[in-house]
Amino acid sequence: MTTTREVVAADDATLIGRSLHEPEIFAVLFDRHAPLLHRYVTRRLGPGEAEDVVADTFLAAFQSRGAYDRGRPDARPWLYGIASNMIGRRRRAETGLYRAYLRSGVHPGEIAGARVEDGVNTLAVNRPLARALLRLKRADRDVLLLVAWAGLTYQEVADALAIPPGTVASRLNRARAQIRQSLGEGERP
Amino acid sequence: MKALDDMWQDVPVASFEDLAGARRRLMDGMRTRRRVLTAPRLLVAAGVAAAAVAAPLIAGGGTPAYAVTENPDGTITVVLNEMRDPEGLRADLLAAGVTADVSFLAPRTRCADPRFEGTDPSYGSPGPTGALRTGVERWRSFQATQVVDVHEIRIRPEFIRPGETLVLEFRDNRNAQRPWTLGAWLARAGSPVKPCTPVPDPA
Repeated sequence: MTTTREVVAADDATLIGRSLHEPEIFAVLFDRHAPLLHRYVTRRLGPGEAEDVVADTFLAAFQSRGAYDRGRPDARPWLYGIASNMIGRRRRAETGLYRAYLRSGVHPGEIAGARVEDGVNTLAVNRPLARALLRLKRADRDVLLLVAWAGLTYQEVADALAIPPGTVASRLNRARAQIRQSLGEGERP
Repeated sequence: MKALDDMWQDVPVASFEDLAGARRRLMDGMRTRRRVLTAPRLLVAAGVAAAAVAAPLIAGGGTPAYAVTENPDGTITVVLNEMRDPEGLRADLLAAGVTADVSFLAPRTRCADPRFEGTDPSYGSPGPTGALRTGVERWRSFQATQVVDVHEIRIRPEFIRPGETLVLEFRDNRNAQRPWTLGAWLARAGSPVKPCTPVPDPA
């Protein structure tokens, strides 16, 4: 009966379509996807940038929602594609984060609370990984992390970044190979 | 790749507080856009005699489901042409300075109560008793909202205190002469309003 009940069951494309005439509906899309998007951005840029990037992503999405392909019920590729552009504009923040990792082994988001106890493991595992991520080309890193952290499929990454699925596969293979090689180096005495 | 998975697991899912700032920015951005879109309609309304409240609101090109107009005397006029988009109406009332909860109900239904604590006995009152008749003249729930035409209500924010919520329940009458029946109450400050659960109401 109420709008609230209807929108809970609606897919993303339906919500986006309705938001053209009822803009407030778009907030439901935010509530649905912002928690994980915030986590993804925090992981990539650190907590200091996450709020801005999430807000900018959803505002940009809201403003361009008229062009959304409503044949795609899941809006995650679209949102993560916009977020990837936003992250790209903050490349320095991302590479700075990995460099900080290499120095301290601790993500700024992990300093508080129980993570301190895990610091040794974090140091051991993540320094080589941070170095590897830092060395990746930006385009390869986007593909790798959209798969590994955002949980997108090859096709969804292709949609998000507007590249062919074959390119997704080749970038992913290259990124994984580099990561494996770097982690192998890190394990050497 | 386990190393990447471990790195991912280190960052928890964002909490409501983590997201509050971004959500507020989105809502502000959406509202700004909405205001821009509705401005021409308001300008049309302002150019017409204030007494002719109904006509100009529908003159914006096509008939909107509803129109919210802030009047020069501080009151707010709501013209309800169609019972859809309660969230939009709620948001527009909020933009006009009134915190409201809006429900649209099918014929012969009502929202299960109690949904909130009212500021006066008008909510949950058993019927047209002597107390209710007296209350019509002095209870703020009645003073804050008046039905002034077939499709139109007037809200008087001067009778709504900070923190209170104006609860509006419109029931569809399927009757062009009397399209809906309105229940309007004020929820006490600090009393959250539960979502409307429609239940049969033969009356």
